Amino acid sequence: MAATIRRVAPLARIRQIALSSGWLLVFLISLLPILGIVVGLWPPEHITFADIEAFLGYQGLSASVFMTLFSAIFSTLISLYIAFMVYSQYHLSRRLQSFEKYLAPLLSLPHLAIALGLVFLFSDGSVFFIDSGLPRKGLSTLIIAIVIKEVPFFLLIFSAIGRQLPIKYWLLQGQALGYQDYRCWWFLVFPALLKQSRLALLAATAYTLSAVDVSLLVGPNIPELFAVSVYRWQTSFAAGDQALAFWANALLLILLAVSVLILYGHEKLAHAGCKALATTGSRFQIGKINPVFKAWLPMLGLLTTMMVLVFALWSLGFNWHSDSFAVTQLTTRLWQDEWLFFALPLQNSWLIGVFSGLLGVASALLALELQRQKGKYWPDYYWLLAIILPQLSMVLGWQIMHIWSQGGYHSGWIVLSHLPFTFAYAYLVLKGPFQSVEPRYELLAASFGYSPWQSWWQVRFRLLLPAIFTAFAIAFSVSIAQYIPTLMLGAGRVPTITTEAVAIGSGSQQDLIALYVLLQSILPFMAFFVAALLARRFRGSMGGQDARDY
Amino acid sequence: MTSRLFRSLSNIFSVCFVLVSVATANANPEFKRITTIEENSAQWQQTLKAAKGQSVYFYAWGGSKAVNDYIRWATREIAQQYRVKLIHVKVTDPSEPVSRLKAENGRTSAIDLMWVNGENFAYLKQQEFLLGKLWSTIPNAAFLVVDSLPITVDFGEPMDGFEVPWGIGQFNLIAENGVFQQSQVSATSLLDIAKKNPNTVTYPRPPEFHGTTFLKQLLVNLTDADPHLYQSATQQAQDELLPVLWQYLDQLHPYLWQQGKAFPSSAAEQLLLYQQKVLSMTVSFNPNQWLKEKSTQQISESSVRRYFTDGAITNSHNLAVPKSAPSPDAAKVVINFMLSEKAQKEKFTGVWGDPSVITSLFYEKATMPAHPELHSSWHVLIEDAWQQRYGG
Repeated sequence: MAATIRRVAPLARIRQIALSSGWLLVFLISLLPILGIVVGLWPPEHITFADIEAFLGYQGLSASVFMTLFSAIFSTLISLYIAFMVYSQYHLSRRLQSFEKYLAPLLSLPHLAIALGLVFLFSDGSVFFIDSGLPRKGLSTLIIAIVIKEVPFFLLIFSAIGRQLPIKYWLLQGQALGYQDYRCWWFLVFPALLKQSRLALLAATAYTLSAVDVSLLVGPNIPELFAVSVYRWQTSFAAGDQALAFWANALLLILLAVSVLILYGHEKLAHAGCKALATTGSRFQIGKINPVFKAWLPMLGLLTTMMVLVFALWSLGFNWHSDSFAVTQLTTRLWQDEWLFFALPLQNSWLIGVFSGLLGVASALLALELQRQKGKYWPDYYWLLAIILPQLSMVLGWQIMHIWSQGGYHSGWIVLSHLPFTFAYAYLVLKGPFQSVEPRYELLAASFGYSPWQSWWQVRFRLLLPAIFTAFAIAFSVSIAQYIPTLMLGAGRVPTITTEAVAIGSGSQQDLIALYVLLQSILPFMAFFVAALLARRFRGSMGGQDARDY
Repeated sequence: MTSRLFRSLSNIFSVCFVLVSVATANANPEFKRITTIEENSAQWQQTLKAAKGQSVYFYAWGGSKAVNDYIRWATREIAQQYRVKLIHVKVTDPSEPVSRLKAENGRTSAIDLMWVNGENFAYLKQQEFLLGKLWSTIPNAAFLVVDSLPITVDFGEPMDGFEVPWGIGQFNLIAENGVFQQSQVSATSLLDIAKKNPNTVTYPRPPEFHGTTFLKQLLVNLTDADPHLYQSATQQAQDELLPVLWQYLDQLHPYLWQQGKAFPSSAAEQLLLYQQKVLSMTVSFNPNQWLKEKSTQQISESSVRRYFTDGAITNSHNLAVPKSAPSPDAAKVVINFMLSEKAQKEKFTGVWGDPSVITSLFYEKATMPAHPELHSSWHVLIEDAWQQRYGG
């Protein structure tokens, strides 16, 4: 008896130590963004409040800020509603339930490639140009490009969440009460999905608010979008520009806070709206346009195929505008020339992506589990700071700290600099599914005598596997896409496919740009595809494709 | 160097450099002597020895295949000849190394060599981040064409040995022959062309460097190269000269691409639009880019090069070494190679086509009649006023 007691005490201490070191680790990762932004934005001594005047007097500032905020919120919400309609169509049809694998190609093209493909296919001077085609530069083109990219992202998130929600049960109940399917979807499923995808909404909005590359290519520029001005000031060392950059960054932070508030407000409104509509029983016709959404994925699939085809042809030297061009002139010369130079960057990207992806997913699970044990979840935006805060200033802070540490330059640092991003994306994918894992499975496991650890590993973890695959695929592709941290911490010692592609993209060599766009998409495509295939083999607590009726 | 705005710190420097046009310079050969060490001096042998086995991290814009290929070629040559490993760190924006040097603030740098000019150079020099005496410690600096090209001053900022010229930029238009029929362009002829071919003419949105230079060329042309443009901009000179430009732009903008309600973000983007035949012209700082693009079938056969009647605004793009570079000796060896006849020849005749900066390879035909840069104070003024009038 005494021996047992003595044995328990060290065990409890070990548990205590494990818990505290877990918290420490999670804190360190989630503190990196704050540290970065504080160090990176630390005002140089010559910043004065008089500079605010110069900043506020900048011609077109208010219009630019308004356009930026509008495009960010609008494109996010539109994507949300489209994705929800598409999801409902596919979820209702048994045959189409395993749609995730079709998302892989849509998800793997970078934002910039979508924008490039879009203007090339549909705007002035393009292949399918009709008189009132897409404006080459304009808010509408920007929003369309963002929506095309965000809808599959939201679908993937919904699918991860949906596996843990008793959607079928809800629908049955709704039907029993005499509601049509589409009403059940809006009144019962939508509020739950909306609440759980809050983090994804935040991430999408923050991305659009501060996206420089897409804004430069297809965004309006009279006045230019705010992110572009911020970037321009921040990278200029002419007298006064650094002071402008400081205030612009401060305003960007305020804009991010405002959009968080707007999204919370929208969620509240949507909840109240659904509730009111459900109880008053008023007519609600949105179900009528459903077929459009059934066609959404095939249409996007076609669009993506066309874009990939265009890029492939470009990279083979095809030129639509050349005076004399024959198909026989197609050549793989460029691929052969570049092969020597892209093999190493591809390999670097792959390794960094795998490590930072795995670490990101593991730490996100750790953060969730620690919070579950504590019984209290921290505010969402805290965990997503890496995505929400202005990237350039944050990474500048990391760069300064990295230089202080004199730790040299190697891939380890790059993995570390990607970790806050992979962690945040993994967290946003996993949070919903994690919270809605059916507690009775774990209860059952405990009643069979499983230890908490066994039950976690064999029940919770396994139930979460589909979501974990999705989270890893997203985290991996987020790591692949990082340009600024890779360059600023790696100092060019570790070239990745993205550092190469972004540098090439700043030029005007069509064939080379196309080749690197394709190369950049290959790794994420594989990740999404494999994750979708694997996810089908495991069911969450509420079933995936093979789920039997509840 | 492409795709960047370059602003010089105007008020500090009132150096007005007089640029002799190529023709005059050749008529009066008056060679300036550059004092530097000899290839076989003990000091240079010491540098070569110290450089052996070292790596040189070269921060340079990576958006051009031609330039990247050239640097790949140089990497092979330098490895063979000097056992120095040159590594091209491809950046999208020349300010990236500047921001890094600022963050490093004197600690051992990750950068050994950088491609720089304009405001970035002025800032780095002022902050004392750069290694000096490059001209006097690199043997091949002796051959720089200082007497016929404006390569001792960088946008009003004297180089003073803190950077070494590598190549030459001359502002020109690449245009459809059928639309731009005369070999030279004036403000008036441009307006005519724009009126006859609406929606096909435009320029990169200032403060993009090419866009601002386009405006400078117009200003020079509209004011008959008023001498005040080459001095620090007084209020009186501004009030007299700038309104002419704005009146002109007010007339021109309705005929531009997108009626002047949107502009290409960069020269690279404008070239893409030109390739897709949306535009009838694009802008370039490489006097031979049109030939190179044609030879690789990137642009149509009927493309020609045009420049402004007053001559092409000319400047240099340069190489600099940070004071805190880990391998300064190897960096100097690389610069010395870049200024060698072999490297300059390959740069000009190879894929890139960038004109040479050394005497033995200086061809008149490689360059256009040159026009001096405006005093740097005008640069900022034009950008700010443009933003006020058209940017918002």
